[in-house]
Amino acid sequence: MTSKQSASSEILQKVAAEGEKLPVAERRNFLKNGLVLAGGALAGAGIGGRAKASDENLPPNIPTWSRTLGTGVLTNPYGKPSRFESDIVRRNVPWLTADRIASISFTPLAELSGIITPSSLVFERYHAGVPDIDPEQHRLMIHGLVDRPLILTIDDLRRMPSTSMIRFLECPANGGMEWRAAQMDALQFTHGMLSCCEWTGVLLSTLLQEVGVQKDAAWILAEGADGSHMSRSIPMEKAMDDALIVYAQNGEPLRPEQGYPLRLINPGWEGNTSVKWLRRLEVGDEAWYHREETSKYTDLLADGRARKFSYIQECNSVVTFPCPEKPVKEKGRYEVQGLAWSGKGKIKHVDVSFDGGVNWRRARLKGLVLPKALTRFGIEWDWDGGPALIQSRSVDETGYVQPTYTQLRDARGSSSIYHKNAIHTWRLHEDGKVTNVQIS
Amino acid sequence: MYRLAKPGLLLSVVALSACIAGNSSAQSETTVSEYNQPAETSAGHYGVGSDASLTEIAGWDIDIRPDGLGLPDGSGTAEDGEMMYEEQCASCHGSFGEGVGRYPVLAGGEGTLTEPRPEKTIGSFWPYASTLWDYIHRAMPFTAPQSLSDDEVYAITAYVLYLNDLVDYDFELSQDNLAMIEMPNKDGFFLDDRPDVSNDQCMDNCKDPDSIKITSEPPPPELSDEPEPVAQTQSVSPGAAVYQKACSVCHAAGIGDAPIPGDLNAWSARLAQGRDALLTSALEGKGVMPPKGGQLQLGDDEVAAAVDFMIEQSAQ
Repeated sequence: MTSKQSASSEILQKVAAEGEKLPVAERRNFLKNGLVLAGGALAGAGIGGRAKASDENLPPNIPTWSRTLGTGVLTNPYGKPSRFESDIVRRNVPWLTADRIASISFTPLAELSGIITPSSLVFERYHAGVPDIDPEQHRLMIHGLVDRPLILTIDDLRRMPSTSMIRFLECPANGGMEWRAAQMDALQFTHGMLSCCEWTGVLLSTLLQEVGVQKDAAWILAEGADGSHMSRSIPMEKAMDDALIVYAQNGEPLRPEQGYPLRLINPGWEGNTSVKWLRRLEVGDEAWYHREETSKYTDLLADGRARKFSYIQECNSVVTFPCPEKPVKEKGRYEVQGLAWSGKGKIKHVDVSFDGGVNWRRARLKGLVLPKALTRFGIEWDWDGGPALIQSRSVDETGYVQPTYTQLRDARGSSSIYHKNAIHTWRLHEDGKVTNVQIS
Repeated sequence: MYRLAKPGLLLSVVALSACIAGNSSAQSETTVSEYNQPAETSAGHYGVGSDASLTEIAGWDIDIRPDGLGLPDGSGTAEDGEMMYEEQCASCHGSFGEGVGRYPVLAGGEGTLTEPRPEKTIGSFWPYASTLWDYIHRAMPFTAPQSLSDDEVYAITAYVLYLNDLVDYDFELSQDNLAMIEMPNKDGFFLDDRPDVSNDQCMDNCKDPDSIKITSEPPPPELSDEPEPVAQTQSVSPGAAVYQKACSVCHAAGIGDAPIPGDLNAWSARLAQGRDALLTSALEGKGVMPPKGGQLQLGDDEVAAAVDFMIEQSAQ
């Protein structure tokens, strides 16, 4: 048995153990879906009507759409993507959660360009489903250790000075299924709890000045209006730094899935602290230690102790082309692309390896390089048709270098669930197919 | 201390503050200079909003702290909580807190935190009992949050503590003693001290190519005759959409004996009662199912559409 085969059989055993509690049908469906996904991407044509029956629309012929009229204005008053892009959707992993009310879906990162995630494709994470909130009936209450407890409407907030910032939002469980071994065979599922939007609203520091914060104030409890009443304790330092009370996303009102009509955004911090459907801020002198900062969203280490208030999403990166959904079709020159991000500031540089980390080349940072935002990188590469192990390694402006799996596991074990930011490896096969692997 | 006289002071306060999560002061300065800070203001500068009355605050101020701050008057014993737990909680969490399907396990797991498969339960992992009261009151039961009385929350909290061998069956939990309950793992947490790893930026010949082995790969997908849709992109009927939102949490998994759509054995007797009877049950509730499945914002016609969808799935 080769080492690859033995590794493969080892992971099968691990997954089998993991899946013991899962209904067989769910597991099978998930694997099947993954197969269809990979197969569809490999075929390239065939999805969404891309297959061409003939060359009638190709030069020198004049395409059909050039010889007829299209649809008029207001055919789609709020717009929608081309029907040929119907495969670009959020997807879920059915066996991850018990139901779809308290669950998660993933951003299709392989299909996106630039650094902005369209509002429709931002990953979803709810603990009690999406509430259907009438903004006229929604209120933000600020109370506790303040001089003037206030109740604000959305209109009140829109009267105040607004700030816009482009910031990534990432669930700290992003990639959490990979702590023990490579398990997910799509970029959407290995890294898709990730997005980056322009957020607009009022700085929390402005609101706190408006109510007058009292002596001894050190923490703020942020609470949602959904059925889970999601609550997190936020240190005053963050509140006075760049925390934003947000009512708009990518220029439009927040989407219901993203907290309409009001949410908190804590730039660079684990997504769960950016409480959606925000209804209440209480200023206090101690942390609350609620469920989502004790039972969940704490990082269990190998010695049995757990890291608490581990807010920051440390420097991370992933190659988005090639990837399982976007295989390489023929030999030749390509721009290999990816995304890098850090909760501590700007990306300083990104290196890419094609040989499993033996040699590295510096990639080019493309377009905007903003603090706590997705940053796109690219590097030209000639594929000779041989196998490759493709990795990216990002460095942020604090000098922190994205770690290896070995380094992370040595420090934390494999049961942390959260904050896995290890260097990721795609295995490019000779047929151009790409699979997810972990290597020594 | 945080009512600031000058924008410049904000910089120094942020810079001096020992941010728990390890923000650097340089990063804060970047943020402040990048965006226009509002002009110097004092409390009430914008004059927006309305004063929050004590009554308004009391209705929403539900949070509980480890020191017991926020707990309302009330009490309940584990014994009182047993039947409530069985009716309200056991369908997802199991009669002994063992968890049903993927729903959270509440009890057991003592001493497993250092094992390869740690079981993080209330007894084995949670640092404070206050969190349990807060969460049950805040978000449970899953389909009808904040529907329990304070005494019921005390009783169910006591019972879950009893399931974890932390209190006796006749123990009466109240606002006076909840903060005194010591959880086994109360000292198991420490403040974020990352970065905890350090990688270097080697560029050339960083490791021996022969040392590279594939240590894991995802399992190969199982082949199947019948292709399934990649995602839930196909349009669904209104009834199916309501079912997904309001009913599937319990009905898809058969929780609380909810009949699973398509389970002909479970549905035949129900279908025999006729659509009106099933619709009445859905609207008014039946057994552990609350009216409209707990989704009271749904119109009667939406509930009817979901009932029709389930009938359609189950009638043969």
